[in-house]
Amino acid sequence: MLDALLFVLRMAWRDTRASCLRLTFFFLCVGLGVAAIVVLRSVVREIQYTLTSEARELVAADVVVQSTRPFTDEQLARIARVAEATGVVASQHLVDTQTMASSAGEDGVAKLVELRAVEPGYPFYGALELADGLVYSHALLENGGAVVQPELLAILDIGVGDTFRLADRDFVVTGVIARDRVQRGGIAFGPRVYVDLATLRETTLLGFGSRASHQVLLKVGEEGRPAPLVEALRAVLSDDIASIRSWEMLEDRIGRNLRTAENYLSLVGFAIVVLGGIGVWSVTRVLVQQKMRSVAILKCLGASGAQVLAVSLLQILGLAAIGSLAGVGLAAVVLQMLPMTLLEPLGVTAVTFKKSAAAQGMAVGMLVSLLFALVPLLEVRGIKPLLLLREHSADTARRRDRASWLAAVGTAAALVVAAVWQAGSLETGLYVSAGFAVVAGLLYGASVLLIRATRALVASPRFALRHAAINIGRPGNQTRVVLMAVGLGCFFILGVRATQISLLSDLTGGISDRSPDFVLIDIQRDQIDGVRTVLAPYLKEPARIMPNMRARVVGVQGQRLQLDSVQAVREYGRLSREYGLTFRDHLEANEELVAGTFWDDGTEREALVGGADSEVSIEVDAAEDGLEIGDLVTFDAAGVRFTARVTSIRRVAWEDSQSGGFIFVLRPTPAVERAPHSYVGFAQLREGLDAAGGDLQRELVRAFPNVSVIDVRDIIATIRTIVDNVTLGITVVGIVTLVGGVLILVGAVAMTKFQKIYETAIYRTLGASTRLVAAMLAVEYGLLGALAGVLGAAGGTALAWGLSEHVFNIDWQPAPGLFAAGVLVSAAIVSGVGVAANLDVLRRKPLATLRSE
Amino acid sequence: MIEFRNVSRTVTSGAGPLTILHPTSFSIPEGRVVAITGPSGSGKSTMLGLMSGLDAPTTGSILLDGVDITTLGEEALARLRGERVGIVFQFFHLLPSLTAYENVLVPMEIAGVRDAGARARQLLAEVGLAERGHHYPSQLSGGEQQRVAIARAIANDPPILLADEPTGNLDTATGRHIIDLLVTLRKARGRTLVLVTHDPELAAMADEIFVMRDGRIVERREKAA
Repeated sequence: MLDALLFVLRMAWRDTRASCLRLTFFFLCVGLGVAAIVVLRSVVREIQYTLTSEARELVAADVVVQSTRPFTDEQLARIARVAEATGVVASQHLVDTQTMASSAGEDGVAKLVELRAVEPGYPFYGALELADGLVYSHALLENGGAVVQPELLAILDIGVGDTFRLADRDFVVTGVIARDRVQRGGIAFGPRVYVDLATLRETTLLGFGSRASHQVLLKVGEEGRPAPLVEALRAVLSDDIASIRSWEMLEDRIGRNLRTAENYLSLVGFAIVVLGGIGVWSVTRVLVQQKMRSVAILKCLGASGAQVLAVSLLQILGLAAIGSLAGVGLAAVVLQMLPMTLLEPLGVTAVTFKKSAAAQGMAVGMLVSLLFALVPLLEVRGIKPLLLLREHSADTARRRDRASWLAAVGTAAALVVAAVWQAGSLETGLYVSAGFAVVAGLLYGASVLLIRATRALVASPRFALRHAAINIGRPGNQTRVVLMAVGLGCFFILGVRATQISLLSDLTGGISDRSPDFVLIDIQRDQIDGVRTVLAPYLKEPARIMPNMRARVVGVQGQRLQLDSVQAVREYGRLSREYGLTFRDHLEANEELVAGTFWDDGTEREALVGGADSEVSIEVDAAEDGLEIGDLVTFDAAGVRFTARVTSIRRVAWEDSQSGGFIFVLRPTPAVERAPHSYVGFAQLREGLDAAGGDLQRELVRAFPNVSVIDVRDIIATIRTIVDNVTLGITVVGIVTLVGGVLILVGAVAMTKFQKIYETAIYRTLGASTRLVAAMLAVEYGLLGALAGVLGAAGGTALAWGLSEHVFNIDWQPAPGLFAAGVLVSAAIVSGVGVAANLDVLRRKPLATLRSE
Repeated sequence: MIEFRNVSRTVTSGAGPLTILHPTSFSIPEGRVVAITGPSGSGKSTMLGLMSGLDAPTTGSILLDGVDITTLGEEALARLRGERVGIVFQFFHLLPSLTAYENVLVPMEIAGVRDAGARARQLLAEVGLAERGHHYPSQLSGGEQQRVAIARAIANDPPILLADEPTGNLDTATGRHIIDLLVTLRKARGRTLVLVTHDPELAAMADEIFVMRDGRIVERREKAA
């Protein structure tokens, strides 16, 4: 046993020592792949960290536990236990409530404000930015201090140092908020005011019956993920807490963008792994072919198939380990040299070498080498020693046995698992794997067709073309290898690139110039004209004012859904939240009808309505939640119930928020109009009037004190920054993938030269000029490259379409330029590399090559 | 003892089945030297391939020292070759990645022989290459490569030695040296030796000559006493 092991070790070493040059390619392939993985992962981590920080700033913590009632000591003890068990590093309390703020004088104006009472150390992430260069600290809130949004100062006509009243206590304005990125649930009904929690508890505001949101903020630390904490908290607080949320669960557009970016970055990580794998596969295949004779000799001398396989496997694993280590080293160097100007706008000043990324790179390098090498390596077991006597007997070695099939199936399964793991999503992983399989199948089929098709060229009078065609179809050709390697490489590179185009188009198109600067809430019907008049001098175009009704779904009689009561809706869960409804007789510019008919033709449709109080058009999201055309939905708006028949489904471009966005749009009928509702307005400042926002608010509140004006410019600016960062991150990573992928493919194609050395030498012996042989190689490789490019680009386009439409849920953007460039560049690269790799053979004396082969 | 019982070999070619060895029976007693001669394509190498278990017959059975090798699997055949059969090829078939010394070492390492290194050096000395052990095959002449191949073939002292055109790829003078070497080894070890050859000089050293034509043994000639 020991002898056998020693033999295997010695042979692996001797073979490696002697095949140094050839194995260098394998080594480089693995090294390059691993380096690409480590660099990408490190960059991605850094970008993700930046994006994560932004998400954390929006929530101010990692996890927020929220309740509408004060926490009991017992509940706090449970939270503390979970916090301790899951590595929470800090926690604090805060309370959000809405209350009236008034100026101190007798005739003072009163204004509803969003009050937040906090403890020292708030917020865990980010910072409140104050005006006039003031730095926020909790000291500003002590002794009755308050930090407020400037709108309140404008409305109450007070300034810093002045006093205003909240409930039964006076507070002094100690700072003005310049920028507050923390998001709060629902619509803000007034300017924000920050006070000290302990001081607030001394007031009557949190007394019995008060409507406040009590929250515990938890911080898990820089590296920790909040998901396990959320899960653990849900387990112990299932019955009595309103919500537990984390920055990972940002439900809005920002959250979606962050998740999209994360998915995309993971996908790219996997793509680079597979590209490295393709390189390894191509190299291993050539190695095995070159080892056939040596394996036959060893078998002739009495070595068993298992011993020979062990020698090869050991060799591959050893090289993969050293190659992976070298790749990690290379990555460390590349990270030092990475032009940081690219990432500076993201706030990333240095990409540090991440040990976890290095470990992952090593593991993936070894795994991929083994997986991709296993199938070609298993062929060594089938190599018959008879080939030493009769060359054609080697054909018998190519028959696949059960072990080969098992290895192939196992490799495929492992790759699917790796795809799901690396992409971080079952759906993305399966899409990519399916795409991979389809493209591989197509490429295999194409190689067979190409071999047949080129038979016609064998009769060509042009020597180079004729022999290129002969080479493509000859026994032992490399048509399949090049087609598979380049085609699959092309598939991944172009797939990632095309997906990037769709993503960027979605991201940059997402924030239009139509985003409003102000949202006006609680306008009453008789105030609409007056509000318009006050706003007119400030606005680019008249404010858009539309009905807004807060209502809940309390019943559904449908084909898929039968929800008879409020309780049934609540248990179903998906339609149980409060919705903002509107009613009108037209579709807005940001709406598109996808099914049914809208009532904008004004026709009476009693039969269709079938006894309902109105018709309702639902957004596709509601359709996904179970509603269908023909369903009868019962709504409850502040105690007033009415029914509406679903008659159409719309898609809303949410990013165009100037036109508003409603899940449910009702047909205006007397029953609907009788339900309690107010109006909401969207206004965009005229250019050059940015500074006049305060005047607008002051004037409006004086004329209509009940109307709340929310300045959403900050929110939009935040979204814009995040979108810009995501865009930049995706672009940088896309470029790294492109460069890394192309380098790996160059290696894979260059490896095929070892199969051409012998015949190139023979052509030279027979009198072919260097130019003729080079032309022959250029035509052969060029044909293969072009075909691989066409198939790979088609597959990549399909992949981008599938991912865009079904995983990222964005519009797919066709990229014909990318397709054409993919085909041309593939043909040029493969052709160029094919000729360049053989240059040394062309320059060498043919006899030297013939002897050494 | 090598025994062929009704052994035939048919291969499938583009034009249909082609019999390259018609049913043949013979036995070669232990210690005997047999030369197989005949024109190209007459089935000589096929016979050698079958004898060594490198190829499998279409019909019949082949017995080496009483063991029917046609019933053995690839692994058992490899083991059998390692222990009982040494093969010398026309094109030497040395492992290009190994030095001459290591090439001789390999079969002993596979068989788990102790002190293989010393024996490898001794064998190289026997074939006159004591000083060339550290050279790679590409650094050796054809004759030297064949001598390494012979040293490798006898490394495990197999009772049966098979040689396929051992001088076929060498010039006359070098071929002469190889013949001398085989004769010397044969005398020293007294093992069974089967040679496929076109070389009358080499055939002349055999106890018996099988003449083949069109896949059949058409003549068996005993060496004149």
